[in-house]
Amino acid sequence: MSRLPDAIARYRLVIFALFLFLPPPWRVTTSAQTAAPAASALKEAPVPGMPLSVHVVAYQIDARLDPARKSIAATETLTYHNLTGQPLAVFPFHLYLNAFQPKSTFMTEVRLGGTRGTGPQSGWDPKHYGAIEVKSLEVVGVGDLTRQMEFIQPDDGHKDDHTVFQVRLPKPVPPGDDVQFRIAFHEQLPEVLERTGYKRDFFMVGQWFPKVGVWWHGAWNCHQFHSTSEFFADFGTFDVKTTVPANYILGSTGDPVASLNNPDGTKTVTWHAEDIHDFSWTASPNFHLVEDSWTGSAGTVKIHLLMSPGHLRQTRRYLHSLKGTLDRFDRWYGPYPYDRITVVDPPHGALEAGGMEYPTLITGGSAWWEPRGLRETEIVTEHEFGHQYWYGMVATNEFEEAWMDEGINSYAEAKILDSLYGQGQSAVNLLGMTADDSGILRMEYLDEPDTDPMARFAYKYMNTSAYGGITYGKTATVLLTLEGLIGEDTMRRAMHTYFMRYRFTHPTGEDFLKTIEEVSGQNLRWYYDQAVYGTNILDYEVLNIRSDRIDWHEKKPPPAKEGQTLYRDTVLVHRKGDFIFPVEVEVKFSNGERLREHWDGRDRWIRYTYEKKARVISAEIDPDHKVLLDRDFFNDSKTEKPDSRATRKLSTYWLFVTQGMAQLLAWFA
Amino acid sequence: MNIGIIRGGAGLVWRRQSVLWWIFAVNLLLALAGTLPMASRTGAILNNSLESAKLVHGMDLPALAGLAMDPSHPLSSGMPALGFAVVFFVFMLFIEGGVLEVYRLDRKLTRAEFFGACGTFFWRFARLVLYSLILLIPIFLAAQFVINRSGKLARDAAPPMAGFWFEAAGLVIVLFLLMAVRLWFDLAQVDAVREDERAMRRGLRRAARAMRGHFWRLFWVFFRISLAGWVFLAAAFWVWVRHVRPESIRASCLLSQAVLLVWLGTRLWQRASETLWYERQSPLPAPAPSTPELSPAQPSTLEPGSPEPSPGLRPDQVQNLASTASGAAKPLENERAF
Repeated sequence: MSRLPDAIARYRLVIFALFLFLPPPWRVTTSAQTAAPAASALKEAPVPGMPLSVHVVAYQIDARLDPARKSIAATETLTYHNLTGQPLAVFPFHLYLNAFQPKSTFMTEVRLGGTRGTGPQSGWDPKHYGAIEVKSLEVVGVGDLTRQMEFIQPDDGHKDDHTVFQVRLPKPVPPGDDVQFRIAFHEQLPEVLERTGYKRDFFMVGQWFPKVGVWWHGAWNCHQFHSTSEFFADFGTFDVKTTVPANYILGSTGDPVASLNNPDGTKTVTWHAEDIHDFSWTASPNFHLVEDSWTGSAGTVKIHLLMSPGHLRQTRRYLHSLKGTLDRFDRWYGPYPYDRITVVDPPHGALEAGGMEYPTLITGGSAWWEPRGLRETEIVTEHEFGHQYWYGMVATNEFEEAWMDEGINSYAEAKILDSLYGQGQSAVNLLGMTADDSGILRMEYLDEPDTDPMARFAYKYMNTSAYGGITYGKTATVLLTLEGLIGEDTMRRAMHTYFMRYRFTHPTGEDFLKTIEEVSGQNLRWYYDQAVYGTNILDYEVLNIRSDRIDWHEKKPPPAKEGQTLYRDTVLVHRKGDFIFPVEVEVKFSNGERLREHWDGRDRWIRYTYEKKARVISAEIDPDHKVLLDRDFFNDSKTEKPDSRATRKLSTYWLFVTQGMAQLLAWFA
Repeated sequence: MNIGIIRGGAGLVWRRQSVLWWIFAVNLLLALAGTLPMASRTGAILNNSLESAKLVHGMDLPALAGLAMDPSHPLSSGMPALGFAVVFFVFMLFIEGGVLEVYRLDRKLTRAEFFGACGTFFWRFARLVLYSLILLIPIFLAAQFVINRSGKLARDAAPPMAGFWFEAAGLVIVLFLLMAVRLWFDLAQVDAVREDERAMRRGLRRAARAMRGHFWRLFWVFFRISLAGWVFLAAAFWVWVRHVRPESIRASCLLSQAVLLVWLGTRLWQRASETLWYERQSPLPAPAPSTPELSPAQPSTLEPGSPEPSPGLRPDQVQNLASTASGAAKPLENERAF
């Protein structure tokens, strides 16, 4: 999901290659069953025709869209393979669309803390009403259990929330056995919000079918739908039929395998996808289809770009960003094993559907007016594609550890955008103004730096802003700082190892952190405790630099001579925040000499003293700019002589604004 | 006639350019006073920091945001500077009478004459501002409606550009209405100065009558002068983006001040042109026989001791000048003049 919650669609995307080194299926595991596979699995080649993931679920859905009523009538057959190692009698299901009702937990949280584009001041708007109603639920071999269904609220006990229901079977499903559910449901789509819904004749159908929870760590994991949380599901196969008016153009997760024109003026397209854990689709009569391809280490990937009217001039930007991202992910982290990626460009007014990820389908975000120097389209495309790895294949629990998909993905986003568009200008390069993506992510973090630790359930953050700032911004900044600590190459190897080891599984935060320790060969717990599990602020400052002549006490000392007069130079460095981090300090002297000092930062301050025939002219903490977590870069250095150019420049601009405002007002005199 | 009016207005501004420089100086000084607190606070953070280079050799937005997030809020300390805009508004309201008098007479005024005119017309013009609100408030409401409606169209209408075109068209109309109202009230001010009118509603009626039948010609004059200011702004912006290096603060400063000077100049150009047009459009009746006859060829300035008044003087002013010429009152030869 896009990292910032408002109008113009945001960040994300990427793409990739294939799978040369997939482990054989019997070695692929889920966290529900075992720990990570052995590192040797990374080198094992895939077995053609064998699944990449453990297929826990198999969905067959037949859906018919009613464009006039903005509704969908569907039937679903879910086959669940009980691989939990124990009998299961109770099965919880998500009904996400019921979140879009005024009394739901989701809307209550939106009212309190806002969410994507729906701020706390927003009232309830009936056009955003959405609902999913289960008409019938039958268990094959057992019979109709519709009356056994009951809504549950595992997170907050809020009885009006109907986003999760459970059904109790009369007889448990033994370990290793299958159970088949047949569900008929009807849903009313909202006007697009929170990634799903309609806008005029555009439909983005996501989180739309009854989806079973995940048996994880010995219990069902099936959270309610919250304003700041995303999703979590098991891998499996999807065979989905979508029936829409014949003139509609469709896009979907997976590959189209059949298309049939019906006598009633509709068409039915059948889709198949496997080794994925969610399924979404889109339909509109106005899409302009752009087809392209990219070839990586795992073969050719078809690119299916559905552009909306008025945005066609942004097509090249989508493709450039997408192909560049595919290339970097393939080379840096691992192959993209699917043969297709579909990118949806939402039409104007439907940006709430933009900036979202589903397996093999992502939504971007662009506008007809967007100048080239403002790389919103590229960032969104990169970010959302990146989720094919961090969410799609490495399927972490987005409810409980949102930093693992959004944050790790934001880190990758910063690295890839730097690589594609240049450091210092990867996000903005417009009219002399520049911004790099990592800088923007850092600013997001600094907006709410210490309210919550990264390792917090998504829906338990103080508010939406804190969720966004910490989950996206802080995580990316923490990982960029970590990269500075262990080295870029090591970090890349660690990310590659993490991806290859945990793809098609449900790893935890600890799995990720331990992988980095393992690859780097360093004990990083001290860093994780502060950065991931803590809320301490990292802020170092150069408090003072000073050069005193050694002969200062003499009544008439000789005139100072460059290179001859002896000085006692002091540099005072202070750890202003509570976050302890080792730092480098670079001291420059008037004779051109530079000294690097290393400080472990454990004490509150340190003073460096030198006796030299030179004055200290500047001192700088973190001269290589590796510690992005530092809250204030301006106090990281101090110079002997002031340089007022920046002040004068800003003042000049402000003077202009003030004078202009005054003249504008005087126009009415 | 239009070209003549525009040229004549430009000539008037050029001849009386001390007015322009004085107003510009006040505009600059007030803004400087407002900017100093911000400069002081940002200086405390930036001047001894190596990080400030990011704002010198370019405009790094994260660095700027980092500065804004500093606990001392250095950038928000610039906000009070906007209060100086209000002071400048009052200042302009005050000197407007003097400026129009200078343009009407097309001669240097003594300080006493200038500020006398300022004081005479200040409250009258203040009343005009209040009257103008009766028209401006609905126009601003219309602008708000256009913006809201265009936002809704941008979200809901099928054509992607519908919202944009609605907003563009709507704001053009709003701009036109604003300019039309401004033009009308400008003429009312010119009329008030010329006729020494105390009843501003009567002045507004007279200005409306004067505009009748000439509106489009007059508006075209007003618009073309505005256009000159906008074109200069666009050109300056282009030069700034393309040819001014980020660290060249002096060039940026000069360019931005040139833009402000031109904006101010175009506004005064409009006032001078309106004055000229009004004088030509509604010549004063011939003076009473007891007053000295006006010469057909009028000097552009009135030198002390000269008996000939400028065209368009009110009878009381003609009388004053006649008295001055006969020695009844001595001119203040050494007083600074506008």
